[in-house]
Amino acid sequence: MNQNEKRTGAQALVDSLVKSGVEVLFGYPGGQALDIFNCLPDAKLLFVLGRHEQGCVHMADGYARSTGKPGVCLVTSGPGATNTVTGLATANIDGIPLVVITGQVPMDLIGTDAFQEADTTGVTRAVSKHNFLVHSADEIPEIVAQAFYIATHGKPGPVVIDIPKNCQQAMTSAQYPERVSLRAYHPESAATSSQLSRFARMINDAKRPVIYAGGGVIASGAAKDVAALAHKAGIPVATTLMGLGSFDEHDPLSLRMAGMHGTPAANWAMNEADLIIALGVRFSDRVTGKISKYAPQAKIVHVDCDPASIGKNVSVALGIVADVKDVLTTVASRVKAASHPEWIAKIDGWKKSRPVSWKQLHPGVIMPQAVIEAVDKATDGRAVVVTDVGQHQMWAAQHFRYSIPRHFLTSGGMGTMGFGIPAAIGAAFARPDHKTVAICGDGGAQMTFEEVVCAVEHKLPVTFVIVNNGCLGMVRQWQELFYKKNYSGSILTVKGRPRNEHLEQDLDYDYLPDFVKLAEAHGAEAYRVIDPAKLDATIAKAVKSNKTTVVEVIVEPRANVYPMIPAGKPVSEMVFD
Amino acid sequence: MSGEQIHRLNCYVENKPGVLARIVGLISGRGYNIQTLNVGPTEDGTVSRMKIDVLGTAKVIEQIMLQLRNQVNVIEVTSRRK
Repeated sequence: MNQNEKRTGAQALVDSLVKSGVEVLFGYPGGQALDIFNCLPDAKLLFVLGRHEQGCVHMADGYARSTGKPGVCLVTSGPGATNTVTGLATANIDGIPLVVITGQVPMDLIGTDAFQEADTTGVTRAVSKHNFLVHSADEIPEIVAQAFYIATHGKPGPVVIDIPKNCQQAMTSAQYPERVSLRAYHPESAATSSQLSRFARMINDAKRPVIYAGGGVIASGAAKDVAALAHKAGIPVATTLMGLGSFDEHDPLSLRMAGMHGTPAANWAMNEADLIIALGVRFSDRVTGKISKYAPQAKIVHVDCDPASIGKNVSVALGIVADVKDVLTTVASRVKAASHPEWIAKIDGWKKSRPVSWKQLHPGVIMPQAVIEAVDKATDGRAVVVTDVGQHQMWAAQHFRYSIPRHFLTSGGMGTMGFGIPAAIGAAFARPDHKTVAICGDGGAQMTFEEVVCAVEHKLPVTFVIVNNGCLGMVRQWQELFYKKNYSGSILTVKGRPRNEHLEQDLDYDYLPDFVKLAEAHGAEAYRVIDPAKLDATIAKAVKSNKTTVVEVIVEPRANVYPMIPAGKPVSEMVFD
Repeated sequence: MSGEQIHRLNCYVENKPGVLARIVGLISGRGYNIQTLNVGPTEDGTVSRMKIDVLGTAKVIEQIMLQLRNQVNVIEVTSRRK
């Protein structure tokens, strides 16, 4: 564009998005975003119309998680903006880069309780990494460039840009900046030479080391470096939920996932380790359990790009604020080749005595864990697996063997039900090279099912597997174990509800919805599986279809997720089935 | 809670709308009460100085400082016990 040529703020926004590398924009229109929408048909980007703003943000999130590129979403003011809050919080706690653009009422109406007015920067402040309220069209290109910079530098996160309608309509000659300069935000940090020497020495001196790898390894692109360190120094690797895929779970050194529903080998190894090498993790309470009893014998080295996460939950012997990949590439040459035969033998013993397994509860009823194994088998372990939240999420973490970074997408920190379906759609747009399979429960699937339409419209060959146990399984499990089987609010069938929910027992259905009919109404190919003998074949058929498919699997309602370390308890109180 | 003391946080921030709300929200959203808050300009009109007194343990104050430093508009933060 010519320096003196003017364009509207809305056009400047759309041009700036394209300049920032946006290829896919998820969103939903409304009055205060109309000027921006008016520019979209001529822009060199694909616009994807979701069916609810929460779905749009989760789609952008799935796109970002599966690629590392920021996901971008455009919505209107008021309810459009407030509907993004759950999606923003989900991305914020998991450190996922998003840029969310919200329309706003014109500046002269702000504060007047105008139609569809909400204080968007006020509402989103606590659930975003940063937000902007645009004051003039001239600011737009610079703010867009800054938003992408902030979203992707330091610990990634969502950034909101709130644009009043008059700024969209005003004319501007402002240009997209050549480079971004932020006065106060300089998140780059590197390890010092003495930190690296000390880190290497601690690794070389350790007798019972464990690598504990999290989402930061994936964000940093350091999976290969983790594998190189593990293999050179003979160190077993446990991952967090967010770190699944950062280390090949087929590798003999893999301990798989640690934490509340992690493997006994991972949790016991951390408990007996003399060195924990924590990479891109934040020591969530879901991993540490009772903090005072966590890893009692271990010195902890914590490498993370976020200075605020180091020493936040556990005390560390060595904290390094730096990019995980940068640290590992420099430390690798200072680490001596080693193996720890006694330590590894002990761990292998745990793996044998307490393998990842499950038991059939009732003959002829599909166990939910078998559904996950069927997905692993049908996709050769290479699918991009997207989950919703609850029991199925933990089974998906436990019973699929992950080997590729960015192939397990889940709402880890926020635990957002309704994430699975839209996030899988976002991933499918981003990763046509791999099959995307969403694994959802019947509860979460009902929260965002409307987005299935979007997958059908775009002919995305996503498979949505609904693990239907007729209840909110994780809630039911906690009520069974900790609330004397008082199943209040958690049962979705007619049978088995508490009296105060006032359901007639003679209704002619046991539970709703009929997911096959629902899926077909949305234009998807749909299957229902009840017979265990037909599980593998149906999942395989759905996964191989080039259409959008929904598979409803009716599973054992009483199945629980084990092993389990109850919240706030030490590893020694791990419960098995 | 034992070990709680009043700390004075000295915070230099970009003089922009929304920065005060972000900083106050970060402290109050964690359940900590601000005892005194004083905001004023510095010689450089684009920078404001905030003096914030908060009651908390040393560990809590350190975590608040780290979170403040992570903010996009925060230039510098120091603290001392009062």
